[in-house]
Amino acid sequence: MTDFKKIEENLKKEAKRLLESGEVTVVLAYGKGFDEKHPMPFAAKSVADVDNIVFNEYCNYNMARYLVRYPQGTKIAIAVKAADSRAVIQLIQEEKIKKENLVLLGIPVIGMKNPKTDEVIDSKTTCGMHNPVLYDVLLGEEVHGQKIVSPYDVLAEYEAMDKDARWQFWKDQFDKCIRCYACRKACPMCYCDPCFIDQNKPKWADKAPQSPGNIMYHLTRFHHLAGRCIDCGECSRACPVDIPLYLFHKKVAKECEEMFNQVSGMSIEDKPVLVNFRVEDSDKILE
Amino acid sequence: MLKKTAIEKISQLAAVLMEKGTLLAPVKEVAGHNFAEINDPQKVDLNFYNTIISPKGAFFPPKEDFIKYKIGKTITEAEQIKVDSKPVFLFGVRPCDVKSFSIMDIHFNAAGIIDPYWSQRRKATTIFGYAYDLNQPVDAADFYNSLGIYAADPEGSDIFMVKKDKDLLLKGITPKGEELLAQLNTLVDAGKDDEKYYEETLKKGKEYKTRFLCIDQDVIAKKLEAVFNNNDFWTKVSSACLSCGACTFVCPNCYCFDICDDTIFGKGTRRRVWDACMFTDFTLEASGHNPRTQVYQRLRQKINHKYSYHVKKYGVISCVGCGRCTRSCPVNIDIYSIVEEALKL
Amino acid sequence: MDFEPKILGIACNWCTYTGADLAGTTRLQYPQNVRVVRVMCSSRINPSFIFRALQLGADGVLVGGCHPGDCHYNTGNLYARRRLATTKKILEFAGIEPGRFRVEWISASEGNRFAEVVEEFTTQVKNLGPQTKLKIQE
Ligand code: SF4
Ligand code: SF4
Ligand code: SF4
Ligand code: SF4
Repeated sequence: MTDFKKIEENLKKEAKRLLESGEVTVVLAYGKGFDEKHPMPFAAKSVADVDNIVFNEYCNYNMARYLVRYPQGTKIAIAVKAADSRAVIQLIQEEKIKKENLVLLGIPVIGMKNPKTDEVIDSKTTCGMHNPVLYDVLLGEEVHGQKIVSPYDVLAEYEAMDKDARWQFWKDQFDKCIRCYACRKACPMCYCDPCFIDQNKPKWADKAPQSPGNIMYHLTRFHHLAGRCIDCGECSRACPVDIPLYLFHKKVAKECEEMFNQVSGMSIEDKPVLVNFRVEDSDKILE
Repeated sequence: MLKKTAIEKISQLAAVLMEKGTLLAPVKEVAGHNFAEINDPQKVDLNFYNTIISPKGAFFPPKEDFIKYKIGKTITEAEQIKVDSKPVFLFGVRPCDVKSFSIMDIHFNAAGIIDPYWSQRRKATTIFGYAYDLNQPVDAADFYNSLGIYAADPEGSDIFMVKKDKDLLLKGITPKGEELLAQLNTLVDAGKDDEKYYEETLKKGKEYKTRFLCIDQDVIAKKLEAVFNNNDFWTKVSSACLSCGACTFVCPNCYCFDICDDTIFGKGTRRRVWDACMFTDFTLEASGHNPRTQVYQRLRQKINHKYSYHVKKYGVISCVGCGRCTRSCPVNIDIYSIVEEALKL
Repeated sequence: MDFEPKILGIACNWCTYTGADLAGTTRLQYPQNVRVVRVMCSSRINPSFIFRALQLGADGVLVGGCHPGDCHYNTGNLYARRRLATTKKILEFAGIEPGRFRVEWISASEGNRFAEVVEEFTTQVKNLGPQTKLKIQE
């Protein structure tokens, strides 16, 4: 099992070292919340801030979400778990950030929990990886020997549904949406300003939180995340009404993987699949 | 008048209320409970702590259609949509939420500014307040005590309900509530010990402690005003904030809205939808200028509006401490802690 | 009464639109269900156009572009291929009949092909019946 205290110590130590030496100006990590179970994303900007850093099984935030908030060129250290490191890679691919401005503090971990349900989050709601894909410093022992479960296994049930039942399922889910946009805001890949849903000309969707606008918002958002979503599951955890957005994102990721033979956020050399092409792409994918 | 019914038989009460009008009550959803219009009396579920989204939607729905219109080449037609003034029963509202209605009345139902939609609904609605279950632990996010609200305050309710083991005690508070209680034939008269239990619960409610900020509201208001320009403070407390709308949408006291026209092929609806000061484009002006471009400015606005401007303008904090914003915030930003910290500055 | 589907056609200026023109000038017969909108390139098609068209009452959407390799802008349709393939998968997982959306490469000289595709697609959508899932109900 992961030694959370040890990682917390290492995280503090590294943060302190990096801030002290002036190597970075911000350390994006996790901080104390109003109680143990509710830690918060935290930006440490001085050595004094380091005391506030924590790490426990509820720190499932994807800190990559905050990277684009700092001006280009800011030296940032960021704590990354597996999916978070993939988000960083994806953002590098999209030229939102540069590797040379970053120090990745890798956290290998198993047993992160969703504070709302106290369930362990694994391949069901996230990509299910345990070790960061890219890091400069590793803050714990790499996790090995875990049974490898495909993050797409959860989809089977939904893929097997007949299309009318699946439509009904999604319609019921989207009807619950109150359009608070927490999903978009929690997502590390949703950095557009303005987001299509906020545009008035053209107005892509109704503003009212009811079926037509909700469906348009979600389908388009799934499309915008195609080949970019790194399956951290933050969108679904952020949702106050628990819409299982991750299912749709996983499905799109799976399709992209099959069609384009590339997994998002795995290498900084890659280009996002939808801003790329191969002449030999087959027309079969259109069928 | 004190009446009672077995909680098991709550669906019978629900069925009677449904005959008399629209029943809004907590139902269980995947993520927790929420108020919903009841079509099936079995769905009413009083086994909840508090709903995810506040009951403000009963009077101020997330989407309110005002006008249906047609835009043609020459003629433009418009028709106003009337509020249905059928009686509504809002069932199972926690005391803090009941209090929120009177604060919202300032904006929608006070001299000079009467929102016909809000006020008509308010008039048509009978509120069944419902004391917190004093045997359950307090949620760590709650802090309604700080706002002078207690777990078993009947104030503001028409009928107040208290759970007694397997029974539900119902007490008429206003004449409207009394009258309704008398008509509800599925209820039986409560006994002496029930009366005693009811009175004791009201008393014990005061002992059911949430987090508590023992400070006069004017002191808070002044303090927040004084730290308005402390950008370091606001940047620090907002560094995690995602600037989404979750906190304001679940809040019983947030009342910002947007009016928009949704038109397709010349036919459309003018409607009011919830808006949130935390949205990036909330303050975007037609010129393209946006006075609040930074997350800290938006979070500061949210907190100051509730705890400072609102106190100065209307003499009351626009927050009832229900803890919803904290519970629903994806990054656990806690308005209570922020105010507490501001006071320490 | 027979159901006559409404189909939105989106055709690229250089190939498919010209091909449609050719079909017209050579007086080929094909169903009139497709209303064609011209865009400069198939890669100009925002996936939201397709979702929105279905919401606004289209029973099917047909996209036409140049054959891969023939794009007037060299690579536009290669991007479009990936993008629209994704759109199709999304519609499918949302539970919309995939047969309501089709992408075809039709060159400027393929008037025949255009007529054929329209014929085929119209029959296909006709068989699927009216599209009610996404359509915004009044
Ligand atoms: S869409 Fe959801 S799962 Fe995918 S990257 Fe964004 S927040 Fe993570
Ligand atoms: S939904 Fe699309 S437009 Fe909006 S922020 Fe996400 S990627 Fe950008
Ligand atoms: S977080 Fe949930 S409720 Fe909010 S906009 Fe996203 S899906 Fe809708
Ligand atoms: S305080 Fe929380 S819920 Fe409110 S806008 Fe910020 S992140 Fe969203």
